[in-house]
Amino acid sequence: MSVKQPKGEVTPGFSTPVGTRRKFFQWVTRMAAGLIGLSLAIPLVGYVISPALKRRDKPWVEVGRVDELTAGQPKQLEYVATIRDGYLEAKTHKAVWAIKQSDGQVTVFSPLCTHLGCGYHWDGDERKFKCPCHGSVYDVSGNVLHGPAPRHLDVLPAKVENGRLLVVYKEFKSGTSTAVEL
Amino acid sequence: MSRLYDWLDSRLKLKSVERTLLDEPIPGGASWIYVFGSATLFLFVLQAVTGMFLAVYYAPTPDHAYDSVQYIENQVTFGWFVRGLHHWGASAMVVAIGLHMLQVFLYGAFKPPRELMWMVGVVLFLIVMMFAFTGYLLPWDQTAYWATQIGINMAGTVPLVGDFLVKVLRGGETLGALTLSRFFAVHVLFLPALILAGIMLHLFILRRVGPAGPWDEAKAAAGSETFYPRQVYMDAVVMLGVFIVLAALATLVPFPLTDKADPSDTSFVPVPEWYFLFYYEFLKHVHGPLEPVATWILPGAAVLVMLFWPFLDWQKKVRAPASRPLGMALGVLFLVFVFSLLGISLKNLYAVKRVDPAIAHGKALVKQFGCTACHRIHGEGGAIGPELSYVGDRRPEREWHFKHFRNPQSVSPGSIMPKFPLTDQELHDLTSYMLSLRRET
Repeated sequence: MSVKQPKGEVTPGFSTPVGTRRKFFQWVTRMAAGLIGLSLAIPLVGYVISPALKRRDKPWVEVGRVDELTAGQPKQLEYVATIRDGYLEAKTHKAVWAIKQSDGQVTVFSPLCTHLGCGYHWDGDERKFKCPCHGSVYDVSGNVLHGPAPRHLDVLPAKVENGRLLVVYKEFKSGTSTAVEL
Repeated sequence: MSRLYDWLDSRLKLKSVERTLLDEPIPGGASWIYVFGSATLFLFVLQAVTGMFLAVYYAPTPDHAYDSVQYIENQVTFGWFVRGLHHWGASAMVVAIGLHMLQVFLYGAFKPPRELMWMVGVVLFLIVMMFAFTGYLLPWDQTAYWATQIGINMAGTVPLVGDFLVKVLRGGETLGALTLSRFFAVHVLFLPALILAGIMLHLFILRRVGPAGPWDEAKAAAGSETFYPRQVYMDAVVMLGVFIVLAALATLVPFPLTDKADPSDTSFVPVPEWYFLFYYEFLKHVHGPLEPVATWILPGAAVLVMLFWPFLDWQKKVRAPASRPLGMALGVLFLVFVFSLLGISLKNLYAVKRVDPAIAHGKALVKQFGCTACHRIHGEGGAIGPELSYVGDRRPEREWHFKHFRNPQSVSPGSIMPKFPLTDQELHDLTSYMLSLRRET
């Protein structure tokens, strides 16, 4: 049996390789281990982080017909979409505010107050959107009138096809002066 | 690096550990014939690592198991690779263990004083078979479900305790949620703990008795070589080779799931993994009152003989194969028995008329889209649309079906059939199924 010297020098045991032969075996062993390690590590890292980084295209979802809306009168419409949660499919329910303009265009607001994300409601008598949490008030176009809300109500992408109103639901960071999509 | 090592060494005395680990003397020197144990250990580590990563997304319930495996296979980056490695790694492990045992048998390395190492090895082999059996159910596809159904039923032929055993294995009256979760727990928690203990014991015994070396006394006496660097180098090269083969198999040979497990579909013919095939074939030839002999008496006896072989073998000292002809003949006989059954079984499997996967997929699509809500196929389904039992005779042209599925009204004006959003693949497979629906020719 060979005995190792402190500085990595090896006294040859019976037929135990020394010198460059020993170096060669060490080198091949390290290369093999490195190759296996690397070709496992790269796929495995991708495997773990990929679903976390994947952003799905959000779908256009029909929320109702345009002729159900009265011009200048906000209406809360139900938004139901099927979302994929990994290998699960789940139905998500949201509500959005839609207002038909006099020119027939439809504006759709996110239902969350831009201050801290509370749900606001429409006060038909005063013709204002009011947030019950901290008293933010918006006009019918979404502009801030009072309260702590830092920005205009968030507008969601909307389009009209064959009389059907289609919306893409998004959420935005609350409390910032510009809209940052989450 | 070396300064850090010195710093650690001055506290933890690593160099003496390193010497113990690497300077193990191998009688007669390093050899390529000794690599199978290391290869098996490497495969075990690979199975453990890929298994841990599969568990990141796998869900062990009948509702989600199949979908979560599909998700790993199709959605997760490199998911197919991790699953492929785990799948092929299981087979490779059985091969590596087989070769390892063969080498030990040939070299007489199980003989005194190494009986315990052999016995622990046989137990490790049995644990690996349990891994294979429990892991097979987890994807919860048709193959998994029906193969496990049969495996569990075989335990039922054991006298007296058979029925009880079946219930314990299932965790209830039927193969279902409780079966899946206990198989999962056994596969990923209980067996790993057990096998780790077994591997440690196996290696501990190896280091206490030392490797056997060549059977030729003169060669062994000529001197020994340390485990490091040459045996380590050989082991590493073989591990890399094994890994490349597995990576190639995982990449080039896809292993798609069959349909989701359907307990009501008794027409499904399951096929066990190849390493259980010889046994499966054997069972086909034994019927009636003799059945328990095949299902558990013979396998049980075979396991016991294997386990106690170091004590049953009458030549305790002779290791050279040429000097123990009867022992070798028995070994060869066993191999011939196993491999002929495997051969017959494989031949029969390929003789079976295989269902075209496109047709099977098309059939699944019919179910998925609920086509039978309107159409009747072989006695099942509504009468709103035309019956499709023999539609292949009526409409034998592929093109017609393509057009029809894309837009029913284009070839069949006035039809009330809705358009279905089909991918090209689905269109193709659905058409294949339609064309297969014909009277026997």
